[in-house]
Amino acid sequence: MDRVKLEERVFELVGYMVTSGRNLLTETPLYGPFRLVDAASRLISILEEEGVESDRLQAMRTEIDAGKYSVMSDVEEFESFLDSLVDTLVDHADFEERR
Amino acid sequence: MELWEAIKGRRSVRAFLDRPIERDLLERLLEAAIWAPSGGNAQTWRFVVIDDPIQIRRIKIVSPGLLGDPAAVIAVCQDLTRARAKGGELGETFLAPIDAAMASQNLLLAAYAEGLGTCTIASFHKKGVGRLLKLSEGVKPILLVSVGWPAEAPPVPPRHREGVFLFEDSNG
Repeated sequence: MDRVKLEERVFELVGYMVTSGRNLLTETPLYGPFRLVDAASRLISILEEEGVESDRLQAMRTEIDAGKYSVMSDVEEFESFLDSLVDTLVDHADFEERR
Repeated sequence: MELWEAIKGRRSVRAFLDRPIERDLLERLLEAAIWAPSGGNAQTWRFVVIDDPIQIRRIKIVSPGLLGDPAAVIAVCQDLTRARAKGGELGETFLAPIDAAMASQNLLLAAYAEGLGTCTIASFHKKGVGRLLKLSEGVKPILLVSVGWPAEAPPVPPRHREGVFLFEDSNG
């Protein structure tokens, strides 16, 4: 991805996050966690297009995109989905670069 | 298409094919919208169709509820100055958004009958969208409707019925 395209994609993500921050003052509180995990998915997509990819990031994005819309239909399912995401994070919580 | 099929078959679609929508088809959707009822027959709604991909990207920056990449977005607006002139405070604050919602439902059903997918969006920054669309003074966006050829068939969400239908003589 060239720098202009990258800057535009990041600007779109910033717009999504900033406007979400403003609107969530008055929107349904459940949209807060939805916007956060959706923003994470969008960030991972941008990084993938930039050549920054890994199995664990791809796993997170795939899991987010498969379950995020449960917020619209089933709160308990959405909660389980978020817990499952954290489980996935824990499963992959390791770093090659150690201090 | 039979009316009940449209009412029960329509879903909120958030994934779309990369395929444009002809202008005459979009105009048919708007025609359906303006046949909705309105309080006092005010008809103070305004519809702004955005089908330029760059302008849709601009709108998305301030519209977190606008998900996916639709071929078109229709801003369902109200001329609140005229709504107040016609219906007073009730017209401006109550009837205008309701009328916009009823017009939107007509639009959604007409779109579904044409094979299009739609999603109604309230999660957007009203002032930001108004600026991007260069709306006239007094005209405010009430809802956005994303429109496109569907790339998904969302599941049927459950319908809640318990305590929803009440007949007057069974209500104590």
